[in-house]
Amino acid sequence: MTDYALTPALRVYRRVMALLLPRRFRERFSHQMLAVFAELESEARQRAGRRGVVAALISELPGLVRLAARERRAVRAQLHSPNVVQRKGIMLDSLAQDLRFAIRSLRRSPGFTLVATLTLALGVGANTAIFSVVDGVLLRPLPVRDPARLVAVGEQSVSAGPGNVSVTSPANLYDWQRSARSVRIAGYASVSGTIMAHGEPQLLLGTQSIGGIMPLLGVPPVLGRLITEADEDPAAPATVVLSYESWRDLFGEDRQAIGKSITMNGTPRTVVGVMPPAFSFLGGPSAFYVPARYDAKVRENRDQYYIQVVGRLQLGTSLERARTEMETIAARLRRDWPTFNTNLKILVLPLQETIVGGSRTQLTVLMGAVAFVLLITCANLGNLLLARASGRRREIAVRQALGAGQGRVARQLLTESLLLALGGGALGLVVGKLFLDLLLAAQTITNLPRSDEIALDGRVLAFTFGVSLLAGVIFGSVPAWQLSRASSTAALREGTKGSDNQQWARSILVVSEIALAMVLLTGAGLLLRSFALLQRVDAGVRQDHVLTFNVRLPRDDRTFFPRSLQRVRALPGVRSAALVSQLPISGRGIGAWFNRIDRPLPPGTNPTGEAYRVVTPEYFETMGISLRRGRGIQTTDTRDAPVVVVNEALVRKYYRGEDPLGKPVYLGAPDNRLFNQAPIVGVVSDTRDAGLGSDPLPTVYIPLAVIPGWPSFSYVLRTQQEPNALIVAARSAIRELDPTLPVRNVESMDEVLATAVAPARWSTTLLGVFAGVALVIAVLGVFGVLSFVVTQRARELGIRIALGAAPAQVRRLVVARGVALVLAGVALGIVGAVALTRFMGALLFGVTPTDPATYVAVAVILVGAALLASYLPARRATRVDPILALRAE
Amino acid sequence: MSESESRNVPTVSPQVFHILLTLVDDDLHGYAIIQEVAARTDGELRLTASTLYAAMKRLLESGWIEERSSRPAGAADDPRRRYYRLTKLGREIARAEARRLEQLAAMARAKRLLPPLGVAAPKGSRA
Repeated sequence: MTDYALTPALRVYRRVMALLLPRRFRERFSHQMLAVFAELESEARQRAGRRGVVAALISELPGLVRLAARERRAVRAQLHSPNVVQRKGIMLDSLAQDLRFAIRSLRRSPGFTLVATLTLALGVGANTAIFSVVDGVLLRPLPVRDPARLVAVGEQSVSAGPGNVSVTSPANLYDWQRSARSVRIAGYASVSGTIMAHGEPQLLLGTQSIGGIMPLLGVPPVLGRLITEADEDPAAPATVVLSYESWRDLFGEDRQAIGKSITMNGTPRTVVGVMPPAFSFLGGPSAFYVPARYDAKVRENRDQYYIQVVGRLQLGTSLERARTEMETIAARLRRDWPTFNTNLKILVLPLQETIVGGSRTQLTVLMGAVAFVLLITCANLGNLLLARASGRRREIAVRQALGAGQGRVARQLLTESLLLALGGGALGLVVGKLFLDLLLAAQTITNLPRSDEIALDGRVLAFTFGVSLLAGVIFGSVPAWQLSRASSTAALREGTKGSDNQQWARSILVVSEIALAMVLLTGAGLLLRSFALLQRVDAGVRQDHVLTFNVRLPRDDRTFFPRSLQRVRALPGVRSAALVSQLPISGRGIGAWFNRIDRPLPPGTNPTGEAYRVVTPEYFETMGISLRRGRGIQTTDTRDAPVVVVNEALVRKYYRGEDPLGKPVYLGAPDNRLFNQAPIVGVVSDTRDAGLGSDPLPTVYIPLAVIPGWPSFSYVLRTQQEPNALIVAARSAIRELDPTLPVRNVESMDEVLATAVAPARWSTTLLGVFAGVALVIAVLGVFGVLSFVVTQRARELGIRIALGAAPAQVRRLVVARGVALVLAGVALGIVGAVALTRFMGALLFGVTPTDPATYVAVAVILVGAALLASYLPARRATRVDPILALRAE
Repeated sequence: MSESESRNVPTVSPQVFHILLTLVDDDLHGYAIIQEVAARTDGELRLTASTLYAAMKRLLESGWIEERSSRPAGAADDPRRRYYRLTKLGREIARAEARRLEQLAAMARAKRLLPPLGVAAPKGSRA
């Protein structure tokens, strides 16, 4: 820059200038000032020697201080001036400069940029997909008017457990509706209806409105009107409101559909309205809505429990007040109707809570898992950036020496990180969309309530954007902080080696990565073990070679089911066939009060409801349920001589230490019995009807001959070959008897069981995938840090090798470092896992959240993977050429 | 201070006046300015590098002087030196200041604070 030698006085003058003058002034004038001072100095030296030089230097100072003060004031005034345009100009200028520089810098290292963006896209994508599920199911308010005021009202049921809102009877509903002041009440029930569409009978699931539920929800129709209470008068004409989808399917979106008639279950109904496309009825799909039209007898019924009740709090009413009022009503009903309402307790809960409550744990765990994946990704990117930054220390030092402030350097580095983050986020959105489509296509989340409301929308977009920015700040701040505070002179001396400080930062990052991975792997491990245990559970049936399908009869025809069963049984390839009112494993099914006639309950107490299933004689053999005592159901059992078979769970509950055979029982209320009375003639093994993870329920099996009017049955066929080979033959056997009957839910028993474990399967699979990703990223982190350590210690290793260290010793040195990192991470991770897996209790089956075997296995996997990751750097360490390593300095 | 103000009522310090004066008949570089000011004032006004450039920055900003893009013909010195030249505005300012000083001196003379012109002039007087 200058050819005059830098004398001490010149150096002092330059130093003071650098110290005092603002950068802008220095950039413009410091060279000239230095040159002028150099001439003044040499003149003074000639005149007065060293004293002259000192005098010249001193005489500069007052002017310099005044100048500095004036210039700094000017800079401040400019920055803080109300003349914002100019000030913004400066800021925007430097922002644009930062951006341009960041783009150039990222383009220079495409490999790094690609890896960083892709890693981030994976992390952000997983978060986007899972968040859209969580948002659709848990966070977004229900799609009705003023959803916060909607409550679920229902009876507390003994079997469903506290906090679960249970169904009620018509008479109770109308009582509540008449009495309640603080809350408007209406009910609904699921119904099915067979409609002929496109020449095929179609069985649709719909909703029955009891007491004007549609106006209560307050979602206006797109066409026509809602079902109101007036439609529920038995004298009113039969009406129906269609869902948007049904309207499209049946009428091709013809607006003339209003007023037209459709035949449902053989009865014509007038279409009076069409609901909007997004409308889903309280979490469940509903193809149509019909009014209840109960006659006086049904309205007074108190022992048929099937109505779900919804309330809308009056404006300004608190949940508490509604609860108090409902308690008063319950007390009166207990007094007025002791036979039915002895234990009546009415629950009032926020509606959304009751709809999604069950899936909350599952989704929270998943959201936690993806958050962990993102954190690990951030730690890893922080590490990558640190590694990259250590190669840029010289560049940054030069920029600092040229006057870039710490803040400016940090900002520049942060700009790069944010740019990466936004790129990763944009790509993450694509990944998230793909991932979500995959989830939806695999039907893994269709068992969730409100799954039809899951979508990538503005809220999800905002979330993704926020998460990406946050990630960028998190992983970008570490190197920015590290580098900007590093002393530039040290950096210039050290070159690209990297400092101890940085090594610490990287080690901490890797330890946290491993700790996070440990927590995730533990969670996944626990779920995996649960799932394995769940699949090993004996469901109580022989599910191989069994075909099942369901037929619902819309009319009263007592001969249809026996006749069709005969036809199906006669099909070639069928070994045995039977009917059951509800398939095993697929749910508790319907229940009724269980009464022992030989031991009546004391007056004033109610019996407990127990599950019952209506079956035909060959059912137990066909399903592989074994007979433990007595006999099964036979063709000779009739309505005149009713008998029942019970399962072992029921014997354990009611006949502990007794012989149940021959004991008379009845089901139902005293004045409304399913059958008058029947002896228990046999005991069969248990099936896990409430789900594989639940205990077998006490169950009563009643012969079809005893309850001949049952409207819906599942056919079970034990087949000689592959069960699906019989589907066509079975369908046509039913169709020959009645071409208008839809045959539904055709699946093998294997599939029924797979459906039963589907929720567990999808939690396990997803968490497993996330844990796998976490493991890979964490192991890459270990690899990266060890490679860095080897590079950094090349000189030391070279000396060791030169002094005769054996390769094994050198290897051990590196591997020991890796093991230390992993052990620290594992220790931290165990603490985290113990703290966090507690919340998974509800998802686990057969293992405790602190299952030692899982923890040990996960720790072994992590340590093993880390050892593998340290092998390559360790091997490289033994190949360090001492000569080269020493010369490199 | 707004630009128009600085034009209408330019405050010219003795330092600045000397620098402007120095540049009236020659384009000079920084060190030469310092030397010439010192020579003209018999060493009474000695600018330092810092005071010079503090002034130069203001002069440049006010548009009274400008940096020459080319070097003066025959300049055989250090090629890194920056030469400065008086602008038209700068020349007017300097002239205005000189006139102001002249008027002040005339008033002082009228009050006989200073001897009348010619009397005190030992040689080359025109009166």
